[in-house]
Amino acid sequence: MSFRDWYRIDRLPTIYCVGCGNGTVINCTLHAVDTLGWKWEETVFVSGIGCSSRAPGYIKTDSLHTTHGRALAFATGIKLARPDLHVVVFTGDGDLAAIGGNHFIHSCRRNVDMTVICMNNWIYGMTGGQGSPTTPRGAITTTTPYGSGEGVFDLSALAVVAGANHVARWTSYHVKELTRAIQTGLETPGFSLIEVLTQCPTAYGRRNKLRDVAETVEYLKDHAILLQKYNRLVQEGKPVPEDMFTVGEFIRRNRPAMGVPP
Amino acid sequence: MQGNTACAEGALAAGCRFFAGYPITPSTEVAEHMAVKLPKTKGVFIQMEDEIASIAAVIGASWTGARAMTATSGPGFSLMMENIGYAAMTETPCVIVNIQRGGPSTGQPTLGAQGDMLQCRFGSHGDYSIIALSPASVQEMFELTVKAFNLSERYRVPTFLMGDEIIGHMRERLTIPDSVEVIGRKKLDPGTMPFKAGGDDIPGFPVFGEGYGVHVTGLTHDERGYPATTNPKAHEKLVMRLVRKVESARKEIADYRVTSPDAEQVFVSYGAPTRTVHQVLHDRPKEEIGHLQLRVVWPFPEFALSEFPEAKSFLVPEMNLGQMAREMERHTDVPVIPIPKLGGELHTPDELVRALEGSR
Amino acid sequence: MKLVIDSDRCKGCNLCMLVCPYRIFKEGKDQNERGIIIPELDRPERCPNCRLQRLYGRTVCGLCQMICPDQAIRWDDEKENEPQKVVIEF
Repeated sequence: MSFRDWYRIDRLPTIYCVGCGNGTVINCTLHAVDTLGWKWEETVFVSGIGCSSRAPGYIKTDSLHTTHGRALAFATGIKLARPDLHVVVFTGDGDLAAIGGNHFIHSCRRNVDMTVICMNNWIYGMTGGQGSPTTPRGAITTTTPYGSGEGVFDLSALAVVAGANHVARWTSYHVKELTRAIQTGLETPGFSLIEVLTQCPTAYGRRNKLRDVAETVEYLKDHAILLQKYNRLVQEGKPVPEDMFTVGEFIRRNRPAMGVPP
Repeated sequence: MQGNTACAEGALAAGCRFFAGYPITPSTEVAEHMAVKLPKTKGVFIQMEDEIASIAAVIGASWTGARAMTATSGPGFSLMMENIGYAAMTETPCVIVNIQRGGPSTGQPTLGAQGDMLQCRFGSHGDYSIIALSPASVQEMFELTVKAFNLSERYRVPTFLMGDEIIGHMRERLTIPDSVEVIGRKKLDPGTMPFKAGGDDIPGFPVFGEGYGVHVTGLTHDERGYPATTNPKAHEKLVMRLVRKVESARKEIADYRVTSPDAEQVFVSYGAPTRTVHQVLHDRPKEEIGHLQLRVVWPFPEFALSEFPEAKSFLVPEMNLGQMAREMERHTDVPVIPIPKLGGELHTPDELVRALEGSR
Repeated sequence: MKLVIDSDRCKGCNLCMLVCPYRIFKEGKDQNERGIIIPELDRPERCPNCRLQRLYGRTVCGLCQMICPDQAIRWDDEKENEPQKVVIEF
C-alpha cells in the first residue's frame, strides 16, 4: 500500500488554492501512517475548522470534521472511549492557537495519546486572510492593514511547557524530515505536536511580498534554522539572525500519558 | 437518594459508558457520582477544561459507539450550545443533563429555575429539533434519564434532561428496578450511504473503527457525508429530515400524565411545579381540577391538550416568565394562563389556588 | 516505470520544479483546457524512481510526489518494449 491509497480518490482534486502547502502536509502524514503499517479501519482523523481542517475529508478513514477549535476535545473523547483506535488531528494556527488555545494546553497537560499536526500558515486562509495569533509582527492582513502589532505564539514552545511528550517543527519544504517527525509522533505514546509552517500564497503571500509559491517555499527553507544550530549559536554567544525560526525536534520524553491502549 | 445521584444511577442503568463534565452548581453531584462509579464498570470519566470541551468529548465518544452523557447548569449550558448544534447536524446520540438554576448569567447558582426551556429547544443557530424531558421527582430523575438515553439512541438526536436545582438536590426514596429497558442505536448496513435514511428518516449509525470509513462533518452534507455547502437542495433536504425525524415521531416520543380529563380548570406543569400542583389536588379532593404533567416537553405534545375536551382554561405554573405557556398558546384556543414565578422558590399551593379561583 | 503528471489534478504551482534534483520538470508553455499551465517533463527517463523503483522495491527519491500539494504526480507501469519488426525493403 502506498500513501496514495489512503486518499478518497473521488474527492480529489482538493479545494486548496494553487500552491497551498496543506496538500504536502497531508501527503507526509499519510506517508508516515502508511509506513507504520496502520490499518485505515483503525485510524481516525479529526479536525476543526479552517483550510487545514478540510484534510480529513480527503482521507478514506473514519473522519470527524468538527467545530472551530474544538477538534482536540472531540479527539480526547474518541481516544478515551476507544484507546485501540489511532487518533490523528489536523488543525491550523487559528484553530489551535486562538479559539482552541484552552483545549490545546489542556490536551498537552493530559498527555492524551494522539498526534496533532498543525498547519501553521500565519493567517486565517478560509475566511479570507485575517490576522492570527501566529501572524508575524508587521505582516499585513485584512484585519491588520497597517501591519500586525501583536506578539506571536510559539506553538511548539507552548506545547513543551504544557507537557506534551513529543514536539517537532518543520516546514512544508522539508518533506522527508517532516515525514520522519510525524512518524516519531505517531509512535510516541502520549500527546505529540508537529507544527508545520506552510505557505499560503493566496491570503498571506499576496499581501506580504510572497506571492510566488516557489519563492515562499524558498523563504521557508532559507529562514529555517535547525534547533541544534540555534542552540550552539546562542551558547557561543554568536548573533542569531532575527527573522529566523527554529525547526527540528523540540522534545521527546516519556511522561505518563492517557488513553494509551493497555 | 438525591435527585442528581438518581440521575447518575439512571445513566449507569441505561448503559452509559462515558461521562465528560465540568463542575458547576447545582449539577456537580451527577459528575461526582459518575466519577466514583464509571471507573468500576470499565467506563470513562473525564473532567474537561470547560463545558465546550465536555460536550465535544461526549460527541467524540458517542461516535465510537459509547453511550455518552454530560451534566451542566445555566452558564455551562450556554457554552455547550455550539456543539449541541453540531450533534444535531451530525445526528450524534448524546444525553445532556441540565440542572437548571436562576439566570440570566451567573444568576442564582444554588436556587432552582426553569428558564432554559426555550434555550434547549432553540439555543443553537439554525433549524433543528431535539428531545427534552423534565423530571418532577427523584424517581423520575432515574426513569427519565434511562428514557433520555433510549430516545437519544433511537432517534440519533441530542436529548436533554431538563431538571432543576429543586429536584436535583431533593432527597427522596428511589426504587431501582433490577433491569431497565435499553434500546440501542440502529447500525448502518455496510454498503449503504452513511447519511441516507429510510422511511423513518433515521439513518443507521456507522460506528468509528469498524471499517465504514465515514466522513462526519457539521457542514451541510449529502447522503455520503461529504460537504455540499453550496447546494441549496442538499441543505433543504438535510435540515427538513433532521426536523422531521423528531417532529413526525411526536406521538411515539410523547410521555405525559393526565388527571381528571373532564375538568374545566386544568393545570399544565413539568418539573418541580408539578409537586405544588399535586399538593393542590391533594388538598382539594372534592373539586374537579385537571392536571397534565408533561414528562417529555420537546417535541411539544400539542395533542395532549385535547385530552381535556371540557377545558375552559389552562393554568401553567412555571419557574420562568411563561416559556412553555407561550408554546401552548400556539396550539389551543382555550385561554392559557401563565403562573410565572421567579426568585428560585417553588410556587406555594396558595398561589396556585389563587390563580385557580381567579380563572373561574 | 513512467513519470506522469495528472492534468486533472495539477493546479500549476510548479513546486515540483523547485524540489527535483534532476530538474526534470520545466515550466510549461501552453494552458490546458482548464486554463492551467502544467509543467513539462524534460527527459523523464532520467528520474531515478523510473529506473530503480522496481529494483529496490520502494520509492526512490520521490520528492516531487511528496511535495505535490495536489497529488498529481505518479509513476505508471510501462508496457514492456515490444520487439519491433523491421521490414527492410529492397
